[in-house]
Amino acid sequence: MKLLKFLSFILIMSSACFATAQDTEPIKQERKAGHLNNNRFKQLYQEFSSPNQYRSASGAPGPAYYQQQADYKMDIVLNDDTSVLYGTETITYTNNSPDVLEYLWVQLDQNVRASDSKTSLIEANGAAPAQQASSFVNSYMGEAFDGGFKIEYVKDRKGNNLSYTINRTMMRIDMPKVMSPGDTYSFDIKWWYNIVNHTIDRARSGYEVFDDGNKGYVIAQFFPRMAVYSDVEGWQNSQFWGRDEFALPFGDYDVSITVPADHTMDATGVLTNRKEIFSKTMMNRYNRAKQSYETPVIIVTQEEAEAASKTNVKATKTWKYKAENVRDYGFATSRRYIWDMMAVKIGEKDVMAVSLYPPEGNPLWEDYSTIVVASTLKSYSRMSFDYPYHKAISVHAKGQGMEYPMICWNYGRPDAEGQYSERVKYGMMSVIIHEVGHNYFPMIVNSDERQWTWMDEGLNTFVQYVAEQDFGEWYPDAIAPNKAYPSRRGPAKKIVNYMGGDQDFIAPIMTKGLNTYNFGANAYSKPATGLNILRETIMGRELFDHAFRTYSQRWMFKHPTPEDFFRTMEDASAVDLDWFWRAWFYSTDYTDIGVKDVKKYYVTSKMNKQVREMIKARGMKESDLPPLVYLVEEGAEDFEESMKTQTLNDVTTLQSYIMDNISPEDRAKLKNPSFFYDVTFEKPGGIPMPIIVEYTYSDGSTKRETFPAQIWRKNDKEVRKVIASEMEITKIMVDPDEETADIDTDNNAWPKRKKLGEFKSFKDKVKN
Amino acid sequence: MRFFTIFILALVLPVVMGAAIHKFYASTTKIEYVPQEQSLQIITEIFTDDIQQALSERNLREVHLDSKKQTQADVLLLKDYVFKKFVVFVNGAKQDYNYIGLQYDVDRVKLYLEIPNISSFERIEIENKILFDTFEDQQNIIHIKTPDARRSLVLDKENPKGLLNF
Repeated sequence: MKLLKFLSFILIMSSACFATAQDTEPIKQERKAGHLNNNRFKQLYQEFSSPNQYRSASGAPGPAYYQQQADYKMDIVLNDDTSVLYGTETITYTNNSPDVLEYLWVQLDQNVRASDSKTSLIEANGAAPAQQASSFVNSYMGEAFDGGFKIEYVKDRKGNNLSYTINRTMMRIDMPKVMSPGDTYSFDIKWWYNIVNHTIDRARSGYEVFDDGNKGYVIAQFFPRMAVYSDVEGWQNSQFWGRDEFALPFGDYDVSITVPADHTMDATGVLTNRKEIFSKTMMNRYNRAKQSYETPVIIVTQEEAEAASKTNVKATKTWKYKAENVRDYGFATSRRYIWDMMAVKIGEKDVMAVSLYPPEGNPLWEDYSTIVVASTLKSYSRMSFDYPYHKAISVHAKGQGMEYPMICWNYGRPDAEGQYSERVKYGMMSVIIHEVGHNYFPMIVNSDERQWTWMDEGLNTFVQYVAEQDFGEWYPDAIAPNKAYPSRRGPAKKIVNYMGGDQDFIAPIMTKGLNTYNFGANAYSKPATGLNILRETIMGRELFDHAFRTYSQRWMFKHPTPEDFFRTMEDASAVDLDWFWRAWFYSTDYTDIGVKDVKKYYVTSKMNKQVREMIKARGMKESDLPPLVYLVEEGAEDFEESMKTQTLNDVTTLQSYIMDNISPEDRAKLKNPSFFYDVTFEKPGGIPMPIIVEYTYSDGSTKRETFPAQIWRKNDKEVRKVIASEMEITKIMVDPDEETADIDTDNNAWPKRKKLGEFKSFKDKVKN
Repeated sequence: MRFFTIFILALVLPVVMGAAIHKFYASTTKIEYVPQEQSLQIITEIFTDDIQQALSERNLREVHLDSKKQTQADVLLLKDYVFKKFVVFVNGAKQDYNYIGLQYDVDRVKLYLEIPNISSFERIEIENKILFDTFEDQQNIIHIKTPDARRSLVLDKENPKGLLNF
């Protein structure tokens, strides 16, 4: 009987917190309706598509994974006087899919600036009180510039015309007969278009006019390109509206580009007629550059570029390039270009880091561009895979930041006197790191940019942060007087303004770029910050880096989807991250965790009031209970000041148990906590982050403890934890390093303390 | 071609917009209502080179900020410009600022302003035309925080004013 009573008592005790509430309130609530599994830790089976033969559940390419191949042979001619680009191309398309293809889709991205482009029609606007004249003309007086493709013909290899249909930025080609699996089909397209002045019309590609009248061309999206056909989309059928970028198959390129003979050019691919193009001096310098691992060697000097700028010769030169396994093609050409290069060791191989810039870029460009390229290749190769191409080129073009295989355009220009601000300098370094980094994502890890901006921009911005910090460490003089590279994105704190902002203007990351409100924060900063939080806080660098490298290597030269990334990160680390993907990528939830309440308890062998009342209500006597250890809250009725100074040895029930049951050796190993804290953590935010707690003790020392995110799995609003301590705790602080993107840190500390805000601290500083 | 202008409201002042993205014109202003002090505390962050360019163009002389060449007169021009272009109405009444000071943070200048004697905070109207005179695509982003609410506004040339009720 006694035992039974005791057992029932234990049951009561263990549900004490619920019992108290139920005892006082009569149960009158209506029965609640049932619900589905809304747990934040529920697996993503509904969001993810089923794994299949093409894409495995592990996140790796499946046994039947395939991708199409598109090879190009092109002859390109630039007319520098009229700024018109002419091209003929042979596309050889290989159907590696198990499907029969009835037609082919080719992308005509230049049509985004055709006179009948619909891009401006999808932008809502109001009447502007004032507008620049050029913008007014474009808005209301018709299109002043026609930059669309002029297709002269589409023919088969025998010279017969093929029928084609242009739907805005895409062209369907109807083949005489269907393509079966394994078939290869070749056809020719002849085209031309007016190159746009990219400094006026803000294009990703075009020319700028320098003060001396010469032009600098950065040319891309310049040829009809095959669309992607894949197991997830069939033919890519999302038009180019101007924002969401490109989805392109891999292939081999054989390209000849004819430009004025006094131009300096670089482009995607290996220059195969270097001996014809280079002077002896250039060749000597080039050979020296291949041996120079510390500093760039100039191939075309500023004096030579300036001399060439005065010539304007009519003769032409043809530069010939071959590129294998690239998904696109770009080139830059001008008679005003300075050219420098250096070698950088990547794995066993030498890669050339290259810069091409007009004198307008100096003194900034000759000082930093090429070393930033080299540094970027090292960082990215460590984080993903060894850079597989033979060179990476950074071209200086006003106001540009755009990437292509092996080549990219970057901004950052000093003023007319050669002065530049910190913003221009770090803007230039960051954009070079970013655009060179795009060689990895999406040029090699070839995600679908048209659908998922974050897959290349977010991943790339994450590695960019790592590379920026590396650069600061490797080149401290270049960033002085800063101690670390002043990265704009990456650290959790920097995303708080965005994630804590107005929910009406936030879209989940898993939204097509065109449909988001806040493209930069949505597709660049937030995914980058999320990965940084996984790396630094949730998984740790070792597990994260291995998983991230696994993803990069599994999908290099292939077409991954978001799920392939999510699955691989979990599969390679054994960390279930479904809750994180759901919160950070699929929702607009934010982090807000705090300390709601702290109760201090002391231990005694004397029965406390709660238990007295409990046994009385159940008709029990004190003698019915075995010896128990009681907790008394500071300031409660049973609390005595002496409890604060006693040790556990003074608690007779506990002392007898220890003496009777624990050997003297083991007794010595027992901890001796005298202070007990019942801490309630609250979570007003949706994201279930780990609770990172820092305890400060009465002697000023601190200790940290992390409760994994799963602590929130049963109660999404608040959780309690009892902290036993040998020393008095004077302060409890959640997320002390602000590494979880907590949008409101006012509730992060106990005792409640109004954090001195940035404004207040500045005001106090000014006053003193 | 408007693909840049639709690229609205990156709330974290990004310098690099990466792929296809050009230099980004934006300022960020944080306004917090602190009832205990009955004040509106304002921090406005503007890219130093942009504001320097605007002030030089407006005043037809070289204005220097965050440099040894910076003069008292330069700082005064900056202050006057911000006071003129950034106007706050609380509960319908136009407010004056206490100028607390400014500091530079890498590539940005931060101005600290305070509006005292705000005993009730129900309605705020903000006009921020900073740099609209110089850059077509300038966006001025405003974050307002009270003890119980957070709201944001994105102001541009076409909508230089915003009204929020609390």
